[in-house]
Amino acid sequence: MRQHHRARLTVLDVSVPSIATAPQQTRVRRRRRPSLAGYLFLLPWLAGFFGLTIGPALASLYLSFTNYDLIGAPQFVGLANYVRIMTADSKVADSVHVTLLYVAMSVPLKLGFALAIAMILNKGIMGLPIYRALFYLPSLLGASVAIATLWRRVFAGDGLLNHVLLQFGVVGPSWVSDPNTALYTLVALSVWQFGSPMIIFLAGLRQLPKDLYEAASLDGATPRQQFWRITLPILTPVIFFNMVVQTIDAFKAFTPAFIISGGSGGPINSTLFYTLYLYQEAFGYLRMGYASALAWLLVLAIVAVTAIAFVTERLWVHYDD
Amino acid sequence: MRNTGLNRRKILGGAAAMGALAGLPPRASAQGATRIRTYWWGAKDRADRTNKVNEMFMAANPGITITGETLGWGDYWTRMATQAAGRNLADLIQMDYGYIFDYARRRALLPLDGFVGHELNLSGFAPASVDGGKVDGKIYGVSLGLNSTSLIFDRETFQQFGMEPPNWPMTWDELGTRMAALTKAANRPGYWGMTDSGGSGPAFEVWLAERGKDMYTPEGKFGADADDMADWFGYWARMRAQGSCLVPEVQALDKLDIDTNGVSLGKCALTFSNSNQLVGFQALNRRKLDIAMYPAGASKTRSGQYLKPSQMWSIAATSKVPEAAAKLLSYFVADIEAGKVLGVERGIPASTPVRDAIAPSLDDLGKRGAAYIAFISDKVRDLPPPPPRGAGEVLALMVRTNETIGFGKQSVADAAKQFMRECDSIIARG
Repeated sequence: MRQHHRARLTVLDVSVPSIATAPQQTRVRRRRRPSLAGYLFLLPWLAGFFGLTIGPALASLYLSFTNYDLIGAPQFVGLANYVRIMTADSKVADSVHVTLLYVAMSVPLKLGFALAIAMILNKGIMGLPIYRALFYLPSLLGASVAIATLWRRVFAGDGLLNHVLLQFGVVGPSWVSDPNTALYTLVALSVWQFGSPMIIFLAGLRQLPKDLYEAASLDGATPRQQFWRITLPILTPVIFFNMVVQTIDAFKAFTPAFIISGGSGGPINSTLFYTLYLYQEAFGYLRMGYASALAWLLVLAIVAVTAIAFVTERLWVHYDD
Repeated sequence: MRNTGLNRRKILGGAAAMGALAGLPPRASAQGATRIRTYWWGAKDRADRTNKVNEMFMAANPGITITGETLGWGDYWTRMATQAAGRNLADLIQMDYGYIFDYARRRALLPLDGFVGHELNLSGFAPASVDGGKVDGKIYGVSLGLNSTSLIFDRETFQQFGMEPPNWPMTWDELGTRMAALTKAANRPGYWGMTDSGGSGPAFEVWLAERGKDMYTPEGKFGADADDMADWFGYWARMRAQGSCLVPEVQALDKLDIDTNGVSLGKCALTFSNSNQLVGFQALNRRKLDIAMYPAGASKTRSGQYLKPSQMWSIAATSKVPEAAAKLLSYFVADIEAGKVLGVERGIPASTPVRDAIAPSLDDLGKRGAAYIAFISDKVRDLPPPPPRGAGEVLALMVRTNETIGFGKQSVADAAKQFMRECDSIIARG
């Protein structure tokens, strides 16, 4: 390996002899600014961060005050986009409703499910690493197009779920294409990806002090009391962390709704996530300015929700120090 | 150590070397060559034919290289708008009637009048075919194929149940009655007569024209009123009630493409589509399909269909090789050998000599498509005014309104009124 390096660098040296002519000067500068090499190593990331993240974000902030259809030049319209979003767009109300419903259902269900599975796995069963990997798998696949397509098939009128239900004499609806149930299939898809909070819960459970449980058992506390009085309070920092991360994720969810509804947010806007509406405005109808305003309001909403979470943290999160 | 370690000097040296490489002029062989970029939407079959013609043109014109880019319809326009914003449009662009006004009026396209008779040979085109590509009196698009709306239906299923296939002229109600009879005759769960096309903009446009109205006025206003909408959505509510068409939760799975259409999924026997899509539909269906005209108005004399300039070539205003692009365009639409390769996959060629030359070599589907266009030519109406901005959103609104009624969330009358309110606000916004 070392030999390999050396060979490559030699080639570099040969190909650029001119650099080697000023060794004295470089050494002086190195002493003065020792971090330059570090920044050079950071350069690819920095270029990406400023060129592909900060730059476009600032551009979209500007565009949110314009009408911009990509083909023509952006026209400055002041706060008109924001005013329309706040006062005159019924689809914003629809999509906010759908998104909040989705967040309110999927986050608690997912966390509850993840905690339950983590507690089962924590009992010290055989083959724990295998189960852990298996349960984590959906989280790796979950946001993919393939799984969303599969979901569409499973929950269709003649899909897998209804075939199973039929064995029990139940005739199920077409879950994905019925406006009363379509959103629940998306919640189910989200809950199914419980792997990442589960792993974090599992790590938290591993660190619970054993002596507390022993003492509780001696005092005659039931397992249920132990769970509510010991496990849950000590886990609150982990729950808090998972909650914040999952809530932000849920607000940003896009791919499943896009694939399952074919990009329409249908039937009857029942799966019109805010992000999906934003996408439609931007790439369906080429209202880049309006979509940018929608995006910035989403950012503000997520910041606000996260801030509320941190403010209320001290009311229920127990830190042991 | 000093010579082997990885230090700043070497990193800088590497960067300098890379910079030098990037700055090198292109390979000598490419110098002086003309590069034409082409861009179109469609499936693989279209890509194969288009690339073949590009290769034939390159073989005949040394010094010209052509690259091809292709996408599906949905992503196509997004990428096109992005490229227009970056002043990076392909030279030769496939264009549609719904978009050509937007792009031409924003000066993203090149007027082609100056090329006609020189690089561009349109001598075989009927004047009406040339006019289909005009915006404000200038030619911005040249037809790659004529087509029209058409019913696409499963002929075998109609025969199997001894039912008469749809034919001209039959009214909308007659079609509905036949489809209800077919659902009954088929008598199996999960199978119906036709798709629920109450959310189909093109179907509505034809139906409305048969009432003497255009979907959009020349001023770009929506041409129907609340009564029209109530009648249209009411027709489909009746179709659902009498079992002529798919139930709402099955229709809701239709993403308005060939793959998810009820006919392709074996859930019904008939759908509202376009004549050139017979080829695409047949590729996904084992049973023999056929095409027919949409139903006629109540008097049975008027058809709301028209010959669509839905497949055109345009040249980007930013093109650095407009003459070469015009020459290639001309090759696509006027050369007989190219015409044989392209067939009728984009529709029937507008050039009469090309049409005549390729007729004997067409397969059954191609012949069916050509016969269809010939059959409807004296029954269709003139080209309607172009759709205004926001028309795409109106199409989505139609789907949603039809679902709202289908799922029983709103009465036909209320939904029609709400449709008008939302539609007006969409069009006003543009």
